[in-house]
Amino acid sequence: MNIIEIKDLSFSYQDEIDALSNVTLSVKKGEWVSILGHNGSGKSTLSKLIIGLLKADSGEIKVDGVILNEESVHDIRRKIGIVFQNPDNQFVGVTVEDDIAFGMENLCFEQSDIIDKIKEYAEKVSMSEYLKKEPHALSGGQKQRVAIAGILAMKTDIIIFDEATSMLDPKGRESIMNYIKEINKAGVTVITITHDMKEAVLSDRIIILKEGRVIACGDTNDILNDKETLNSSNLELLLPLKLQYLLDEANLSNDKVKDILWQLSLNK
Amino acid sequence: MAIKFEQVNFEYPSFDGYNFSALKDINLEIAEKGEFITLIGETGSGKSTLVQHMNALIRPTTGSVTIYGIKIEKDTKKKGKVKLNPLRQRVGLVFQFPEYQLFEETVLKDIIFGPKNFGVKESVAIERAKQVIKHVGLDEEYLKRSPFNLSGGEKKRVSIAGILAMEPDILVLDEPTSGLDPKGRDDLLKLFMGIHNDLNKTVIIITHDMNTVYKYASRVLVMNEGHLVYDGLPQELFSKENIKSWNLDIPDIITITRQLEDKLDVNFDRQPHTIQDLFELVKEVI
Ligand SMILES: Nc1ncnc2c1ncn2[C@@H]1O[C@H](COP(=O)(O)OP(=O)(O)OP(=O)(O)O)[C@@H](O)[C@H]1O
Ligand SMILES: Nc1ncnc2c1ncn2[C@@H]1O[C@H](COP(=O)(O)OP(=O)(O)OP(=O)(O)O)[C@@H](O)[C@H]1O
Ligand SMILES: [Mg+2]
Ligand SMILES: [Mg+2]
Repeated sequence: MNIIEIKDLSFSYQDEIDALSNVTLSVKKGEWVSILGHNGSGKSTLSKLIIGLLKADSGEIKVDGVILNEESVHDIRRKIGIVFQNPDNQFVGVTVEDDIAFGMENLCFEQSDIIDKIKEYAEKVSMSEYLKKEPHALSGGQKQRVAIAGILAMKTDIIIFDEATSMLDPKGRESIMNYIKEINKAGVTVITITHDMKEAVLSDRIIILKEGRVIACGDTNDILNDKETLNSSNLELLLPLKLQYLLDEANLSNDKVKDILWQLSLNK
Repeated sequence: MAIKFEQVNFEYPSFDGYNFSALKDINLEIAEKGEFITLIGETGSGKSTLVQHMNALIRPTTGSVTIYGIKIEKDTKKKGKVKLNPLRQRVGLVFQFPEYQLFEETVLKDIIFGPKNFGVKESVAIERAKQVIKHVGLDEEYLKRSPFNLSGGEKKRVSIAGILAMEPDILVLDEPTSGLDPKGRDDLLKLFMGIHNDLNKTVIIITHDMNTVYKYASRVLVMNEGHLVYDGLPQELFSKENIKSWNLDIPDIITITRQLEDKLDVNFDRQPHTIQDLFELVKEVI
């Protein structure tokens, strides 16, 4: 079943810049989809349309069978959490704990439950010591961690991560990716917007945007190998696959090496 | 020495009186010319705080930072004698969040603000703007746009263009490649490398990308919990055991080489630096 269905969606900012043109795509319930594409290709715009922060010029978005419009937008937002590209855009509270609580309060969680969850999720992102701090007095990566905790705690059916780990250290990034794997296994539909092929490889499917249009959409394993499409959208091959290409070009490849490099790409 | 840190400690003030100590006993020297430095370390380790000392945006709580002969201490500004403006032109700093740097109505005004502020004629500044916008991978059309109505990666590029237009002697970039698409990342790193090579300028880059460190840096600094814990060559850093305890990682090319050696049951006689190097090595064993 498709939990998100987008048909022929177009959007332009201030009537002049076409940010998205005729985008059609769908996301299955429980699926993990990556959205890739060059800077300015329309990824963040698409995510803001899905949660109804921007209004499409034409086309249709359906979430869990319901068409997104002024009447349905509030119900739909209860189903989707989004971690914004710039964590500062997420902060409204005076302290880190206010900010982690904010999304849960909007969803009318019990006060006692909120208090427990603040602790639990701050722990998950290693920010327990910072609960009383002002969000604006945090380092870049700490801000991202807090933004992630606040959205995870809402436990929505769908979560969109818009480059949510771009400023994390390698260990922090790995632990967030592991956590995303976990919630996805538990049934949460995940959309990750990223430039990092090592993150994209973890998802089931990849959608590539270029100049506001969908230029590729398919199983992760197929897209990973599609050098031309990746290059044409300012993306890159994973390192083992780059090596595979060099070997292929020199006519040196064999099945054993090919298989090893493929396994290494999938990080197995 | 262009920049010298001596026994620098820095505390962020706090309302409850428990000030937060972000830098601890930092001693560090940066040469005016010829260095390509990457500054790395876990989240919250003090990287951004450290570089903000390099153009006197913030001042040490104790100790001193000497920038082009001007000694900056806790009460330097209060004394009012020292002019910091020239330092800010000589040491150009690109912020981690472009939003903190962009404030004008148009991208053009934003880019020419710095040079004009440092006495460059408007017409010259505009010419520079037209050049640097292309260098960061955006076309001239962007000069007319509002810097707030851009995508994340586009904002980052504009904030970098603004500092390049100042033509500083030392270029300090706080996570310049986070949020850039892979081609943009490579192009900009090559651009910084070009500035370093052609003009022999020192470049300092904060990054979480170990591949960048391994591929470009001639010197690497590691911060951990406010301490400078490593200052040396990248090759040596990545052969150290405690690298994981600093929440860092091994560059992909090293990881893949090790995995290949394991799976192919061979031992390469050297560590490849690029994918082309690795290709040459693999060629010999298959
Ligand atoms: N608020 C805005 N007003 C006008 N144009 C905008 C605005 N935000 C984005 N744009 C333009 O819309 C296009 C798509 O932007 P979007 O932010 O969706 O890109 P993106 O794929 O998320 O890029 P990035 O990887 O840099 O974050 C870009 O050309 C951008 O310049
Ligand atoms: N304005 C501030 N007030 C109080 N504490 C601050 C402030 N800015 C930063 N800090 C604290 O100082 C420490 C160092 O922060 P800094 O921004 O230098 O880290 P960083 O190494 O740049 O991290 P990141 O990789 O996440 O950007 C962090 O623990 C942070 O919470
Ligand atoms: Mg974006
Ligand atoms: Mg920082």
